[in-house]
This record gives sequence, C-alpha cells and structure tokens, in this order.
Amino acid sequence: MFELRFHGRGGQGAVMAAQTIAEAAVIEGNYAVAFPFFGAERRGAPVLAFARIDSKKIFSKTQVYTPDCEVVLDDSLLDTIDVVSGLKPDGIVVINSKDKPEDIDLGKEIRTGAVDATSVALEILKAPITNTAILGALVKATGIVKIESIEEAIKRRFGEKLGAKVGERNALAARTAYDRTVVGKSKGIKKLETKKQWLPSYQEIPLGGVLVESRTEAGLIGPGSFIENKVFGWATFRPVRDKEKCTMCLLCWFYCPEGTIVRISDRGDLMTNYDYCKGCGICANECPVDAITMVRGKT
Amino acid sequence: MKKVITGDHAVAIGAKLSRVDVVPAFPITPQTLIIEHIADFVNDGEMDAKFLTMESEHSVMSAAAAAEAAGARVFTATSSQGLAFMHEMVYATAPLRLPVVMANANRTLGGPPGIWCEYNDSMGVRDSGWLQVYVEDNQEALDMVIQAYRIAEDNRVLLPVMPCLDGFVLTHTVEPVEIPEQDDVDSFLPPYEPDVMLDPARPAMIGAFMPAEYIMELRRQSAGAMESAKEVINEINDNFAKRFGRDYGGLIDTYRMDDAEAALVTMGTVTSTSRQVVDELRQDGKKVGLIKLRFFRPFPSEELKNALKDISAIGVVDRSLSFIGGGQAFNETRSALYGLNIPIINHLAGLGGRDVTETQIRKMFELTLRAAKGEKVKPVNWHNTRGETV
Repeated sequence: MFELRFHGRGGQGAVMAAQTIAEAAVIEGNYAVAFPFFGAERRGAPVLAFARIDSKKIFSKTQVYTPDCEVVLDDSLLDTIDVVSGLKPDGIVVINSKDKPEDIDLGKEIRTGAVDATSVALEILKAPITNTAILGALVKATGIVKIESIEEAIKRRFGEKLGAKVGERNALAARTAYDRTVVGKSKGIKKLETKKQWLPSYQEIPLGGVLVESRTEAGLIGPGSFIENKVFGWATFRPVRDKEKCTMCLLCWFYCPEGTIVRISDRGDLMTNYDYCKGCGICANECPVDAITMVRGKT
Repeated sequence: MKKVITGDHAVAIGAKLSRVDVVPAFPITPQTLIIEHIADFVNDGEMDAKFLTMESEHSVMSAAAAAEAAGARVFTATSSQGLAFMHEMVYATAPLRLPVVMANANRTLGGPPGIWCEYNDSMGVRDSGWLQVYVEDNQEALDMVIQAYRIAEDNRVLLPVMPCLDGFVLTHTVEPVEIPEQDDVDSFLPPYEPDVMLDPARPAMIGAFMPAEYIMELRRQSAGAMESAKEVINEINDNFAKRFGRDYGGLIDTYRMDDAEAALVTMGTVTSTSRQVVDELRQDGKKVGLIKLRFFRPFPSEELKNALKDISAIGVVDRSLSFIGGGQAFNETRSALYGLNIPIINHLAGLGGRDVTETQIRKMFELTLRAAKGEKVKPVNWHNTRGETV
C-alpha cells in the first residue's frame, strides 16, 4: 500500500489533489481512497488531505500517520508544520518551492521533488491554485502512476465540475510541472520542532470549554488569543492601495474577512495590518474604483 | 398556605419563588398556562423578571442559553412539538454547562398530532445532557422547580434540568398545593452566581468552535457531572425534606417494597394511581410494591439494583415506545439490572394520552406476579390496545 499526506491551505485544492491521484490509480486498475481533514472552512488555513493506493480493496478508514509520500502545496507551511514527522524512512517529499531540493531545509536529508507550482499555476491557470501542478511533480518524483493517467484523471474530475476547457488547462499545468520538477535530496540543518498544542485532560479543561483569556504553554487561549495567529505567511499576493484613487467608501474595510483594514480616524485614512492579511484579494475585488491592486509577494 | 391549583399554575409559582431573572416563552398546549401565569406575575409586579415573547421555541432556547451565559437565572417551559422544534438548542445548552431549568408538559409528539400525555417528546432528548425528573402530582411539580435550580446550579453539576409533568393529567388538573413561603425558599435557594459569564469587563468565549482535540474531553466532563448529579439530587432532596417536610426519595421513591415479590417500576402520574392499586392488592394479601423512577437522567442504575435485588419479578411501565421492543424505561431498567437474573417484563400503556386506569394497572401486577411464580409471560405487553391480548 502507498500512503500519501497532502499539506495545503484552504483554497489551494489539496483535497481535490488527493481525490485526483486516487482516481488516476483507479484508472490504472488499482484501488484507492482519498479524504480531507480540515477545521473551520477558512480560505488560507492549513488543510490536510490523505490518499491510499493499493492493488486490492483498502479497509483502513483512519488518517495517514506514516506516509510514503508527503506533498506540500505551500512551502510557507514548513515554518509551522514538521512535514517529515512520520514519513517512512524511504519516503519522499514533493514540494511547491522556487528552490532546488538541495536548498530546501526539511531538517532531515530526504528524497525530495521540487517544482515552482505557484508560477506554473499563475502562467497556465492565471490563479495560484497549485493542486494540479503539484500532481505533475508528484508523478515525476514517485512514479506511483503514469503522467497520462493523471492527465486523464484531471480531465475527468475538473472537466466534470468546471467544464472540458478547464480540465484541459489543468492537465497542461500537471504536464508542465512534471517537466520542470527536479528530484534530489533536501538539506537537514534546521532543528525539527513540533508546535506545542494545548491539550488539557478532561479534569483540566474549563467547564463546558468556556474560555477566558489565559496563557498556556502553547500560547494564548480564549478571547483575544487570535493576536498570536499571524497569517502573513499564507499570502501569495498582497493588496496595495492607491491613495489618489481611494474615495474612502470603506467597502474594503467592510468586506475584509480578517478585519485587517484599520481606520485611522483622525487622519480619515486606512491602513492594512499585513500581519493578519492572508492576501485573499476580496478588498481588491470589492473596490468600486479599482484603487487596490494585488501584487505578487508575501504580505 | 394551601391553594387549589393546576399543575401548570404550580410550576409557574415554583418559578416565581425561585426568583428567576429571565423567562423567554412561546406557548404550546398543555404548557400554555405556565407561561400565562408567569406573564401575569410579571405584569402585576409580583415577579421581577424579564419576560420575553419569542417567535419560536428554537429562539426560546437560544435566548435561554444566552441569558444564562450572561449570568441570569432562566426559566422556560415547553411541550411536545415545541420541544422538538428547539431540539438543536436543547443539545447546545447542556455541554456548555448552562444550568437552565425548563418544565416540559409531556404530550404526544405527532404525527398524528394529538395534545394528550405521552413521553415520546422528552424521551427524544434523554441523551442531550439535561437532567430529567418526572413528577406525579402538582405539589411535586412546584417543589421540583425549586429543587431543580439547586441541583442545576450546584458546582458539581452545572447542567440544565427538565422537570416533566404529565400533560392534562397534571397540567390541567386542580388539586391542593402547599405554597412555600418566599423567605423559606430564599434561604433554601441562594442567588445564582456563576464563576464565568458574558461580561465585557472579563470577556469569555462560550460555545466557540471546538475541534476533535477537545470535544472528547468535554463529553467525558459532562458524563462526570451527570454522575455527580446523583449524590447532589439525593442531598438536596434531604435538605428540602428537612426544611419543607416533603421527602420525595431523591433519584427514586419506593412504596410498600418490604417483602414484595413483584414490583412495578413507574413514572409520572401512573405512579400515583399505582399507589392506590398496591394498597388494594396488599389488602387482598398480594405481595406487591412500587418503585417510582423519578429521575430518568441521570439514570439511577445502582439505586434500582439495590431496591429490586430481592424481588422475584419486575414489571416496567412505559408511556412511550422505543423501537428496540418495548419502552425506554423498560430497556434502561433491564440494562441497569444486568446480572441480577430477575424476570423483567414491560407494560406499555397510555400512549397518545389514552387513560391509564386502575384496571390496567391491576392487570400489570397480575402479569408481573405470574412472572414471579415462574410462569412464562410475554416480555412486552400492550395494555388496552385493540388487537392485543394481555
């Protein structure tokens, strides 16, 4: 059995990627399953997806804890998630990165396939949705299915949902990424650290899960604790506002799902708190005078 | 002071004496009189509470939970379809440990629609984390509202409580009820002072999204609180008995169980009628007794086991049906007595509000006595049901 774990962010299509690799395996006559695990459905938030491939029916209905392959759709996740924990000794990491494998520090020397899937997606799909590009890299690095099977699976799944043309374009994204993927060995310099979690026993957890602001060894909990959850690493684009064009209509302030646009009342001005901007682009989309442009690069 | 009042009126007075702060309400037969009386109390200045007329029962329980979270003592009442309509919020209230008290006037949950007594409404929320107590007369209805607040707000419990009274058989029946003095209730029931509440000076998150990392522990915590409720219920019953002179037995009550060979386990008003039948049968020399299953949650497994361990056969009366075969009280009692190896049979009666008569109860005892003698008796018996023989 071949087990895969996908790390992505809400909106990047990790779930669809897992389903598509499963479909490709089935096209080749194998048995496969794929399933997601996510919390509050929030664009940009870390998402997990899993897939299993075998030549016979798979009965296990649990999450994948010791994958053969770890797929990372967004290299900013490397800062917060230890992607190599649990990876089988001869496992492989497939990663969306501008860097070559030997320049990627996973804290362990591991067989790694790398591709700049974001650029591929932007070139071909005109959107930073990296799931189909990363599938091309996954096939190149693992050979778990043939590239033709992935193309067929993409055409089926994406074509069914979004039309034949979108299916074709996504298959092309996979093929392009397949051609550009470099396979090598990662660096093993940084110390692996797992983010501490607040895991109280049933005797310790406040009654009914009712929280007041308090500090635990894993950080703040309760009202106001979100101040520690900076999301600037999530963004592919950041909003830049043209003050000359802006009419101060405040639609961006109203629509921002993260509340990162701050009104500076004494100057009648706005400010974006980039620490909490996930680069979703809703402000630019809503601006009636096109005063906001989304610019490539982290916020 | 003694008053001749309905069960609904008694419940309303219980809420008034408990000095509740907020009463969100929506009317439904046969609960309507409860909130009408409370509306009168508030309007006449007899009761210092915020009375909120809501647009649905779902909103009633939402408002009840929210007001409780803001530190208020909350009362409401519902019945049948109304309880079903607020189902979602009933489940939301208990795990957040909000000690709301809500009376339920037991009424058949349609279809087909009906307005008379059946327990299939409150049985549907038996696993919501609420405590449930079933009363047999109007005095107990009043007293249990007051006790319910002491139990619910106890730090060892902090769970909502649902006193259940039989629709029409109690809600619309007048009988004499001793009304406790306000001073006595005040000294029995101190004001509600939660540790954490919605307070801008000290913000709290109540009912926030929780991933699987926490919900299992919260379930375990609720299970523990429900278990602790058992000693709290008995303790408060004893306190109440000392102060007011009325002892309801706590989790269960027993009647003429000394040397009994066959016993019925009953709930609600069937208990009351059964007391009379037990007296008659005892006069005829039949060794019969009665167990009143007062609290259905927490389920008094140990208490039932102790009370029934020396009996030869048990009959459990159910006023609602579970499709496992027989009713809920039967199946849970049988489960509680696992290992005792005592014949136990089920008597289904009074569904949809059909009257449960002394004749039927005599038949239940007769069947149970036959089981006590080792005769083979059907496990589930439908009483007074056309097409069935008992």
